[in-house]
Amino acid sequence: MTSRRNLPLLAGVGAMALALSAGFASATPRTNMLHQWATGSDAEAIAKLGEMFTAEGGTWEQTSIAGHTANTLAKLRADVVAGNAPPAVQLKGPEIAEWNGTGMTMNLDEVATAGNWDSVVAPELIEVMKPAGSWVAVPMNIHRVNWMYYNPSVLEAAGVAEAPKTWDEFNAACEKIVAAGKICVAHGSFDWTDATTFDSIVYGMDRDLYRSAFVEGDTEAMRSQPMIDAFAEYRRIVDEWMDPGMPGRPFEEEVAMMANGDAAFLFMGDWTIGTLNAGGYTFGEDYECTQAPVNWGGDGYILNADSVVFFQQDDPDYQEGSVLLANTIMSPEFQTVFNQAKGSIPARMDVDLSQGFNPCQVKSQEDLAKSIEQGTLVRSMAHNMTVPQAMRGAMMEVITEFVNSDMAPEDAANAMADAVEANM
Amino acid sequence: MADVTLARDFDPLATGGLRRKVRAKTLVYVLLTLFAAFYLIPILIVLLNSFRELPEINRTGFFAIPRSFSVQPWNEALNTFCVVGTCEGIRPFFLNSILMAVPATAISTAIGLVNGYILSMWRFRGSEWLFGFITLGVFLPAQMTLLPWAYILGNAGLTNTITGLVLIHTVQGLSFTTLFCRNYFVNIPDDLIKAARIDGAGFWRIFRRIVLPLSPPIVIVTVIWQFTGIWNDFIYGVIFSSGDKQPITSALIALTAGATSVRYHNVEAAAVLMAAVPPLLVYLFGGKYFMRGLTQGAVK
Amino acid sequence: MTLALDHRSDSSLAWRNRLAAWTPRLVLLPTILASVLYVLIFTLWTLWISVSNSTLLPNLTYGGFKHYVALWNHQRWTIAYTNLFVFGSLYVLGSLILGTFLAILIDQRVRGESVWRAIYLYPLAISFVVTGTSWRWILDPSTGIEAMLRNMGFENASFDWIVNRDMAIYCVVIAGMWQASGFAMALILAGLRSVDQDLIKAAQIDGASMARIYRRVVLPSIRPIFVAVLVILLQFAIKTFDLVYALTGGGPGLSTNVPAIYVYDLMFQRGQIGQGAAAAIMILLALAAVLVPYALYMAWRQRREAANG
Repeated sequence: MTSRRNLPLLAGVGAMALALSAGFASATPRTNMLHQWATGSDAEAIAKLGEMFTAEGGTWEQTSIAGHTANTLAKLRADVVAGNAPPAVQLKGPEIAEWNGTGMTMNLDEVATAGNWDSVVAPELIEVMKPAGSWVAVPMNIHRVNWMYYNPSVLEAAGVAEAPKTWDEFNAACEKIVAAGKICVAHGSFDWTDATTFDSIVYGMDRDLYRSAFVEGDTEAMRSQPMIDAFAEYRRIVDEWMDPGMPGRPFEEEVAMMANGDAAFLFMGDWTIGTLNAGGYTFGEDYECTQAPVNWGGDGYILNADSVVFFQQDDPDYQEGSVLLANTIMSPEFQTVFNQAKGSIPARMDVDLSQGFNPCQVKSQEDLAKSIEQGTLVRSMAHNMTVPQAMRGAMMEVITEFVNSDMAPEDAANAMADAVEANM
Repeated sequence: MADVTLARDFDPLATGGLRRKVRAKTLVYVLLTLFAAFYLIPILIVLLNSFRELPEINRTGFFAIPRSFSVQPWNEALNTFCVVGTCEGIRPFFLNSILMAVPATAISTAIGLVNGYILSMWRFRGSEWLFGFITLGVFLPAQMTLLPWAYILGNAGLTNTITGLVLIHTVQGLSFTTLFCRNYFVNIPDDLIKAARIDGAGFWRIFRRIVLPLSPPIVIVTVIWQFTGIWNDFIYGVIFSSGDKQPITSALIALTAGATSVRYHNVEAAAVLMAAVPPLLVYLFGGKYFMRGLTQGAVK
Repeated sequence: MTLALDHRSDSSLAWRNRLAAWTPRLVLLPTILASVLYVLIFTLWTLWISVSNSTLLPNLTYGGFKHYVALWNHQRWTIAYTNLFVFGSLYVLGSLILGTFLAILIDQRVRGESVWRAIYLYPLAISFVVTGTSWRWILDPSTGIEAMLRNMGFENASFDWIVNRDMAIYCVVIAGMWQASGFAMALILAGLRSVDQDLIKAAQIDGASMARIYRRVVLPSIRPIFVAVLVILLQFAIKTFDLVYALTGGGPGLSTNVPAIYVYDLMFQRGQIGQGAAAAIMILLALAAVLVPYALYMAWRQRREAANG
């Protein structure tokens, strides 16, 4: 940590302290953050946030909710209903807009201006953090969803010279891999994993379709021929390139299938890195990473981000704590430490990844910059970054039913549109 | 019933030659052993994995013959594992669970005893209907009651307190404890109570002198039921407690649902086993009395 | 039993008697109030929310029956509701039958009875937070029983229910029975022990086979215990939640969704509190479909017994 890196944080805190000093001269910043990074490496990463918050003079408390996301959201609702909304909550994507709509969230514009957030955060993310034109959330990281991990020795043994770049190349590679007696795609079927893979397929086949169907929720696009084609490709992947043991297969098992060389490819986001490290696998030997195939020949990026929303508080200690926490989260130091542990990359585009990051993370940052330049960056539907939960849930149900049945592609496309229309 | 017809072959009481008896006995033990294996395997797998090293589990899976042995996972689970915000292992959460489960069990059992006594021996017009109404409480799914409880706890100033959890578990437990106790006391002969009444004994005196001394079997059944139920509940703990005040089952629920985070299967196995020790002990040591309580007509 | 009230002229004694008569009701009052709150108010609140405009947060304005319409148009709900009946009946009956079978086995004067009992009973003491992961690996064809059998040389062995959308719910039933059958065993064994031995001896002297004795004499005489076991298993079935999460996560596809998961997911994950409440009301209706006929039957039987003296 150099002192230069500390500057933006100090500047931000200083500006806010000045702005607020008139009102709450005696306030000591406090916070209680509600989040779901409850165990293991996630908990260690968030403990770092607490340490940094404390080091800046704050009193850190957290409410860490284990398990399913529904638990965190249930806790939030229960607290709001009970009349004490938590000061800081881990919320993402459209949830930010939904809770902003209740009028209970805190406006962070002044902090954002002081910290110059508008120029350092990826543009696709800014829209999400400013659902109604004002900053109400701060991003903690950027996950890339459209990764394709592969086992280089399996590809080599099957005579596949390089990782496929288009879906046709991918199918051709799979034919060779299956002929060589391996499973082509490692997969464990849950609604979110099925949707993660489908994110990459739809985006790779037709990114305009992705935007209209998955970002804007246009049901006409869902019924269109390109969507049927995407489902048809998925049908082939499910029936021919995945194995029948996939439903409910635990996450680490599908990761191990690829890294152990039982399967060639794995479509998954960058949180896979943590699991690969925990299994003792080495980059370049057991696995490599590349972007999931795209038919339109460019650099693509499907983005997912975790973020924190602040709820208005009466207590000046908590008000000041929210400002301090927002600045701490946005500091390059925290973004570095947190994302080294998580496998993701900083939400700030100006952080140097040359030290302590995995090659896949470095590539992620490079590809993010390229995709912004080429206008190909999108947010992830599967990871709750685009349409509201009610609509996303309906779409994911159709996708996971499609994967686990013999539903025809046309029927799936219509079923998805129907389900979304029923939820609008 | 098919299972009953089987009894003819092996029942030692049935008339038959010695050979047939021996064969029947053997069959009984073979069946008991097979079933015992079915019941024990899941927890044995957890136990074995709690001594394996992580890379081995990640490479060969949970259901494999152990090749490594380490007590490190137990040490970590007890002392350094990060669970819901603290990295001191699972110890802090033990205390929370005890502070929640012991009072809630004691209060709900005590009230249930009195309720059962009233509903069996001091029946009044409509008391049967009341009993049915109270019993309905056992059927309400927890998910449905979360938001109403949030209103109540919020207005009572009990959000994020262990007292709030004790309140919830006591109110919900009343349905069960009343059901158990009432059905047990119904079997106490009326004559005993009538005689006491004629002697001029009042409500509380009869309870203290006659009913309470007869109660230990049902108290044990009720305590075991309530304690394990409350200990194992996670949903109220997740929603109505906060940070390091969570009960242990709520803190560990992440271990069944963690999707994308790195899984430390060996440490997790050790952690969940440690968390399961109190209810297991209650069953193992209370088991004899549990059966005695049941045998004496606790649930009829 | 009725209260024997003494009507003496002494007013203080009369007052005391009246107080004594009211004591049970007064003592019961807190429980009654708690039950009114918990059973009645919570249910009415949920009922109102189910016809309100609630989405992200509870909203008490009336919105009509739109949530019920949406609910029944939702494929996932019909799957979950069907599963409640399929899972519920198989789980309750299966646990009951297995529990009876185990109880009869243990009842054959076996050695080490307390050890067997403890082994069969312990699953109820621990939650699926503890054993969910191992169940998952046991049932998974690539890591569990199927893989083991194939390694042992049974090349064609197949046990892939958990990855088969038509069969996965039966895996949930198996794990559920594993947890609850020991409890049924304990209750039924207790019942078997309480049966009057003279009845059995009399039947034996008549030359009845053991199977016949169990079927005709022993099991019918412990019918109340079966009812108690049924009630307890039924409430487990309705509340089934973590079992499914740990085992299948509701999959493959949507095939093992159950109503409790649906309620939780809709209310809290998706922010469709109204539709979640409608689903909760449907669970209660399903429960009423079982309990109301039972209550009517009990009332009818009581009346008939009273009439027959």
